[in-house]
Formats: sequence, structure tokens, C-alpha cells
Amino acid sequence: MMSPATPPSLVQELAAAIGAEYVEELAEGLRVTPGSAAEVAEVIRRAGARKVAVHPVGAGSRPSRFYPASRGKPDLLHPGPATRGQTDPLHPGSATRSQPDSLHPGSATRGQPDPLHPRREPTDDRPRIFISTSRLDQVLQLDEQSLLVHAQAGLTGLDLERILAPRGLSIGDYPPVVLTSSIGGIIAVRTPGKSSARHGFFEDAVVGVSAVLADGRTVHTRVAPRRSTGPDLSRALCGSEGTIGFITSAVLRIHIKPEARLVAAYLLPSVDAAISAIYLAIREECAPSGLRIYDAAEAACHFDGLTLPEGHALLCAGTAGPTDLAACDRDLLTSAVIAEGGKVTDHALADLWWRRLHAGEPTPGPSPTLQIMATPGKLRAVYRALQATATQLGATARAHISRFDPDGAVMFFTIERSGELADDTTAAAEHAAEAAGGWLLGARAVKLDAYLRALRDALDPDRIMNPGTL
Amino acid sequence: MRDGDPGRTVRAVKTNVDVERLQRELESICGPRRVSMRAVDLDTYARDMWPRLLLSYREGVPPAHRPHAIVWPEHIREIVSVVKLARELRIPIVPYGGGSGVCGGAVPILGGITIDTKRMQTLRSVHGEELVCDVEAGLNGERFERELARRGYTFGHFPSSIYCSTVGGWLATRAAGQLSTKYGKVEDRVAGLTVVTGRGEVIETDGPNRALRGPSWTQLLLGSEGTLGIITSARLRVSPAPQLRVFRGYEVDDVAAGVEAIRRVSQKGLRPAVIRLYDELDTLINSFSHHDAEHPSSATASHEVRVPVPRVETGALPAWPEPPAPRDDGFVDRLISLAKGKGLRQNAMNAALGRSELVNKLFGAAEKVARRGCRMIIGLEGARIRTEVEAALTFSELESAGARDKGEDPGWAWLRHRYAVSYRMSPVFRDGAFVDTMEVAASWERLMDLYHSVRTAIGRHALVMAHFSHAYPDGCSIYFTFASTAPDAASAERLYDTIWRDGLEATTRVGGTISHHHGVGLLKAPFMAGEHREAMAIFEAVKQAFDPAGIFNPGKMGLKVGTR
Repeated sequence: MMSPATPPSLVQELAAAIGAEYVEELAEGLRVTPGSAAEVAEVIRRAGARKVAVHPVGAGSRPSRFYPASRGKPDLLHPGPATRGQTDPLHPGSATRSQPDSLHPGSATRGQPDPLHPRREPTDDRPRIFISTSRLDQVLQLDEQSLLVHAQAGLTGLDLERILAPRGLSIGDYPPVVLTSSIGGIIAVRTPGKSSARHGFFEDAVVGVSAVLADGRTVHTRVAPRRSTGPDLSRALCGSEGTIGFITSAVLRIHIKPEARLVAAYLLPSVDAAISAIYLAIREECAPSGLRIYDAAEAACHFDGLTLPEGHALLCAGTAGPTDLAACDRDLLTSAVIAEGGKVTDHALADLWWRRLHAGEPTPGPSPTLQIMATPGKLRAVYRALQATATQLGATARAHISRFDPDGAVMFFTIERSGELADDTTAAAEHAAEAAGGWLLGARAVKLDAYLRALRDALDPDRIMNPGTL
Repeated sequence: MRDGDPGRTVRAVKTNVDVERLQRELESICGPRRVSMRAVDLDTYARDMWPRLLLSYREGVPPAHRPHAIVWPEHIREIVSVVKLARELRIPIVPYGGGSGVCGGAVPILGGITIDTKRMQTLRSVHGEELVCDVEAGLNGERFERELARRGYTFGHFPSSIYCSTVGGWLATRAAGQLSTKYGKVEDRVAGLTVVTGRGEVIETDGPNRALRGPSWTQLLLGSEGTLGIITSARLRVSPAPQLRVFRGYEVDDVAAGVEAIRRVSQKGLRPAVIRLYDELDTLINSFSHHDAEHPSSATASHEVRVPVPRVETGALPAWPEPPAPRDDGFVDRLISLAKGKGLRQNAMNAALGRSELVNKLFGAAEKVARRGCRMIIGLEGARIRTEVEAALTFSELESAGARDKGEDPGWAWLRHRYAVSYRMSPVFRDGAFVDTMEVAASWERLMDLYHSVRTAIGRHALVMAHFSHAYPDGCSIYFTFASTAPDAASAERLYDTIWRDGLEATTRVGGTISHHHGVGLLKAPFMAGEHREAMAIFEAVKQAFDPAGIFNPGKMGLKVGTR
């Protein structure tokens, strides 16, 4: 759909401010690609003056550069007060232009439609500017002593991982599919599954955020290991999907690469038993780096016809850390599996699972049709409810369960009939999942909408920041 | 929100109150027995445990600010009604938990209604499979932990104020317990909150699914110190009660060596429950006050002030000790007395504290000559197998970093006396001096700068010592204790303010945070702009969203306030 034309004077102003080659007129609106936080502020300030809507656009994966030490190691972990109109001394000005892979802000999986963000229709008749973060692709500072990295919003998690790896560092054991998104996109959108059994929620790794508000002010939340100086203001920006501020960079906690990584596969008499084994081990303080349960049908699909005894489940697990601790965690999990009637099975299955997860080997079969989050106490009920619903509708449901974190896990269902995806079952399946206590991916705290509106009223009275979202 | 914004709601509260109507209305909500306007109650609720307020209080000066009324609600609907009444009358509301805050956060500087939550004190449920519990905000910390222990769980939050603080107070200030290195600060343990906001509405944040779209309302309400609403209950994460505890003492050459050892442990993926490093002066004083480790028979007799002593052998919560037996203080005890100002003639202690810069240097020099090194305490607890493995790895890492094992006794001695610190301040005030603590934090890269800068800044005015605790992979907190004296309350207040100003400005200069776990209140409100800079605009906007009438705890945390 065509967007109202951006005022020519604004186009000219933006071209003068950030360079004509970084301003492009599209049918959907104007796309600009600023190269620094200061340029983002300039774009938003000028858009705000004309009440033009601005939408963040996540960046795709591309080669990235580590900020060169010769630039004097600016301290952006602890920036001083920003002043309006301040130029960004870190702007390298040499980035080659790269195209954003979509106009879907914060898309969870690059190259795939984001269920949270279907291609947006304009909510009003104002002109729109899409601000791409693709040139904000620098690591601004790496503090190896404190294990903190200050990364610009357009850098993807995988890019960052590639930068950290040669230094023996890692962003952590988060699902690689999450890390394909830009840092800005990962933290701007809260969804279940952006978490790690070992490190917790991704947003807990965010120590500080720099963002541009609707009036063009740049804010930097204070970086500290923990603090007691009021609310965690960075959490107003995390998850706000660009409506509170445009995230330009974030300071993240990182980790030393683990001394050892171990994987194991287990066969359990049921999905219930597999769930029980995991939480039994967690109660013994086992902290795995990755976990996945496959029901028998899913295991057959994912492992080339692997045949499990009827009703059985396959559990793949990874542990990491100092060698003794990784072994301890693996042994705790093994003990829990045995306690639940399971046993160790073919190690090659665990190796294949891990390679697919972290080395990019493709997983066979179609993408899951339904993703449900459930707390530990509800996982079994949701699984059974979906199975029953599929059966009632003449279909079959297979599932794997992963993204375990302190709040629960995400269940990925594929519902089929005669080998074809049974899309007509989706509504009933969603209803059954919610009735059993599950949460659909992308659920929102609707009851708090009034507070979000009031927060936006206070910061963005003209609603220029990503209108139509949340 | 900025001044001059069109459409901005001006937050304002009235300072003149129709007290008769207020009493009538409050009694209609809570009943006459749970409303008070008696002078003794108004005086009691005029302050918390902010040491600055004790300076004038000990001289008999009446409190400068008192609430107009205190209420003790028992149900959330009563709180909603009180908030609606306060909105209608345009008078402030000050939430009050245990009153143990040390920053003046509960001081009703514009009067109004103080809501004491302590009659909302039920541990409603513990969900073992989910490892969460639902608890009301007014529950006392020690009772909360004891009730969880009875069910086989722990919240893992053990502040030194545990006997006199509430769950709601912890949440409102982002408190930290002594075992935070394993369990996290309180904000790390929250799954959801129930809050009555300044709009007079009840909201529930996050709940069982924390990953709802939108901002994390839980994290925006935690630490708001009653400026956005009043926390009435919470869903908190619990852990199985520990099966094993391991405590030891270590010694390192100096502070820098100790800091490096802690950093290595924290970044290796190990999670000791507690790891504390005392600087030279703190080590000296601790070595005296914990000398019972070498003389176990004096374990409970070495303190004039009776303090709770944990039954460490069972892992149960502390119990009050028997009265101390009379005994003859030896040389070491006299030294402890000197360090703590106890049993010392008032003029002698004041003389020492009055020349604190010199005393700081003398203590430092004496310590270096003695080459005692710095004391370190480390403890692990949790599930038996994993704790055993982690303990072995942790001790190995410490020793490879140059720490010298001093055995179990120092560790257990610390555990026995871990709640004692709060009870040692009264004698100092009684004898005419004052003492306070400043808890700041920074990344590891900045930590030694923070230590030296703040110590120098405070050391010009007060005797100062420090310990490092609450360690994380990315940084650590430093807990400075300072003591000084002045001839009268007014000059003591001036000196007190100078110490805090110099200490916090030094903190901000080197990139630290001005509070790790005590909160802001009135004490640190003037420094919030330096702490958050432009990001205060977000806090102001959150305030506008949750409390548009500005009735909740006005004048705190550096937020704007208006009066009519």
C-alpha cells in the first residue's frame, strides 16, 4: 500500500543530515539508514517536527567490524551526558550500504515471516519513515575484564558471536535462531523463548540501553552490575517494540567460552517422564546449556525415521562450563532420567541435535504450526490437550519442547492430516492450549494497555514512534 | 515529559488537610481500630532508620514531617479505597513496610496518609513444581523465610534487616540479601507483582508468563519506593532449601588481589552463595570482632549488644541469644571497643573520630606494617552434589589466585554474626558520634577506581572502612562504613551531608552506581539526575503513567513534585 509522500523538504533535510545515498523513497515510505546514534536522533527530531511516523527496521546479517582501537577507545559503557545536536565521534562513516532484509521491525527469524509482526498496514494517513539499523553495526566497546560488550543495535547476535569467539568469549547459550536477529530487534521485542536454561532471559543480559526518544533526546541508562536507584529504566525500552524509544545500542553481559561442552541423549517412557526428569534435575541445581524433548512422532521426523517405542520420548541435552561442573550437570540429568524410568541412548542423536542447533545444519520437515509457552506445571496438560484436540479433528499432532527457562518452556507443535499441514485445526488447537493453561506466542498484557498508552502520551504525545504497534 | 510540554498534567498535592474529614473517611474504609491520628503514632511513622534523622532525634528534636494519619489495611480493596480517597483529597500516600529503610524513603515530607502493610502478611501458597510462591507484601522477612523453610524451600534473601523488614519493602527498594551472589538480588527473584497504582487500580504484572509482549512492568515497578503505587503481593521464585552448606575463610595480600580472586570465581560460572572481601581496616576490626572463631567459648559473650545468632548447624534462622555472661575484657576486647567506640569514654572516641583522616592513615600504615593482608569469607550452599563440586572448584580457583586458606572457622563465625552489624550502630549514636554505610557498585574494570575514589572522598571527613560483597560476573558492590562526630546536631548534619555528597559524587565520576541495594529515598534524591541523566525523562514518564495525580510518596527519588 502506498504511503503518503514524505514532504520534499524533509527528504532534502535528511539527505543533507545523513547523506543522500542513505535516503531512499519507497512505496511504503521513506527509508533512511543512519550511520550513528546522533544521525538517528537527527532523523527522529526532524520527523517529529513534522509529526511524521518513524518505524525501526531490523538489520540482516552481514560482515561486521570491530571498532578499531586506534579511535581512542571511547568509553561508551559509561557515557557522559549527551547533548542535543552532539555529533557521534564513533560514526565510522565508511560503512557500505546494505539493504535491510525486511521492513518488519524486530523480526524474530530473518528471512521468515514474523508471526508477531505481519506486514503492517498504515494506521493513519501520515507519511512514514523507516529507519534501518543496518549501518549501526559496530562493537563500540568490549570490556573483557567485566565481560561486557557495548554493541550497536544493527549488529546481529550471530555477528557479535563471530566477533567474540576469537577472544574466547561468547554471547551465551541462547537459541541460535534468536541470534539471527539484530541486537536491537532481539531486545525490542519480548517473546517466550529468547532465553537460555543456563543464562536465563536474554533481556536479563541487557545492562544498559542507549535510545533516542520521540523528541530526539538520546538517553543512556546507567551501566552497573546491579543497582537500587529506582526502576530499571532500560526495561521500558526492552520489549517496547520501538514505541518508547529507538534503541541504538546496548551493553550486554557476555561469557567466557566454556571449558567443556557435553551432550547426551536419553530415551524416556513418555513426554511426561521427560518433563519430570528435567525439573527433577533442575531442582538439584543442574543448569543445562540446552534441552529438547521430542515426542515419538517428532523424533521420527527429525531423525530420519528414528523409531521410538510407542508413547516414548527422546531427550537431548547439553551441558557446559568447567569440565567438572559440566560433567556434574550431565550426571545429575542422567540420574533424573533413570529415576523417571529412562535410560541413556545413542549419543549420535545428541551430536546431530547439537550440530543442527549450533552449526546450522537444516532440520527436516515443515516449520511448526503452533508455538505455545507453558509453565513447568502446565506443560504436560497443554501437550495432552493438543494431542486430544488433533485426534478429535481427525489429525495428528507431533511436538518438540525446548527453550526451557525459569518460567517454563516453549512447545512447538506440527498438526497434520494425511501428511499435509492441517491449517484448519489451528484455531481449535490454540483454544485448547489456552484452556489448558498455555500461552500463545505473542501474548500481550492487554490489561496494562492504559499504562502503556499513558507512558507513550508522556514521551511521544504525537505518536510518531512506531505507531500501530503494541 | 518535560516542562512546557503541552497537555502535561501538573502533579500536585495539598499541604492543608481537613483532618476531621480525613479521619471520618479513613475509618469508614478500615474501621476505627485500624486508623490512627494519635501523636505517638504520628511521631513513630515520621521516620525510618535513616541515620541522619537519628542525629536530631537523639537530641529530642521533634520530627520535621509527620503523616496526617496512619492506616493498617488488611485487604487490597481497602488500599484501593484509601488511594481513591487520597486522590480526591489530593493528599499524599506513603507506603510503609518494616520501617527499616536507611534513606528516608518512608518520611512523609508532605504529610498525608501512611499505609502500613504489615497486616497483609499471608504466605498464600507455594507451588513446588513451578518453584514460585504467592506472598503478601507486609509479611516480615524472617517469618517469610521461616514459613518457606517449614515447607522445604528458601527465598534466598537474607538482608541484615531480615528481622525488621517486609517483603514489600524489599521489592520497593530492590534490596539485596547476603547470599545474593547465588540467589540474586530481590529483583532477580520476582515473577510478578500485584500493585495498587496511583490511579486507584489493581494491576497484575507479568504473572506466570514473564515474556509477554511490551515493557517489563514488573521491572519498572520494582525499586520505585512507593512513588508509583503500593505493592500488595508478589509471585516470587523460591529454591529448594539447601542440603549442604560450606563456609571457609581466606586471606589475600591486599584488596586488589582479593578483588581479582573474586572476579575469577564469578566469571568461571561458579555461584558461591556469599563471597566477601574486607579491606585492611575492616579486616582488622573483623579479626577482633570475630576472634571468637579462635575462642569459641566467647562466641555469644563478645558483644555487649545482643544480636540474633543463627543456628548454623541446622540451617535454621537465627534465634535471640541468652544474656551475655559477665567477663573480664582482655586487650583484644579493648581494641574492639576502640574500633567500635564501645566502652570508650565519649570524649576519647570523639577525639579519634574528629581526626578521622589521620586515623585512617594510621590504621592503614599499621596494617601495612603488620602485613596482615585482607580477610575473605566464602560460602556455598545448595543441592548436595552440585554444591560439593562447586565448592571444590571455587576453593581451587581462589587458591590459584593466591588466596590462603584459613579454614572453616572464619566462615562459620561470619555466618553466626551475619545479622549483627545493624545492632552495632546504636552504641555509636548513644555516645555522640554517628555511623552510616554507603553501598555503591561498578563493573570490575572500574571497581578499584571506585574503591580508591570513594575512600579518599569520605576519608577526609570520617573514619572509613569497606568490604566487597554481592559479586556478579560483570562487577561487584562495595560497602563503605564510615563514622564521624560533630559537636552538635546541626553541624553533625552538615558533616553527614558533606560525606554523602563527596562520596556519591566520587562514585558518579568514576562510573559507579550510587546505590546497590539500600535505595534512594530522600538521601540520594539529589544525585538521581547524575545517576540517570537524560533517562530520568523515562522515570518521569512512568510516574506520569502510574500516578498522574502525584500522590504517591512525593519528594522522593529525584522526581518532580508540586504542591498546592
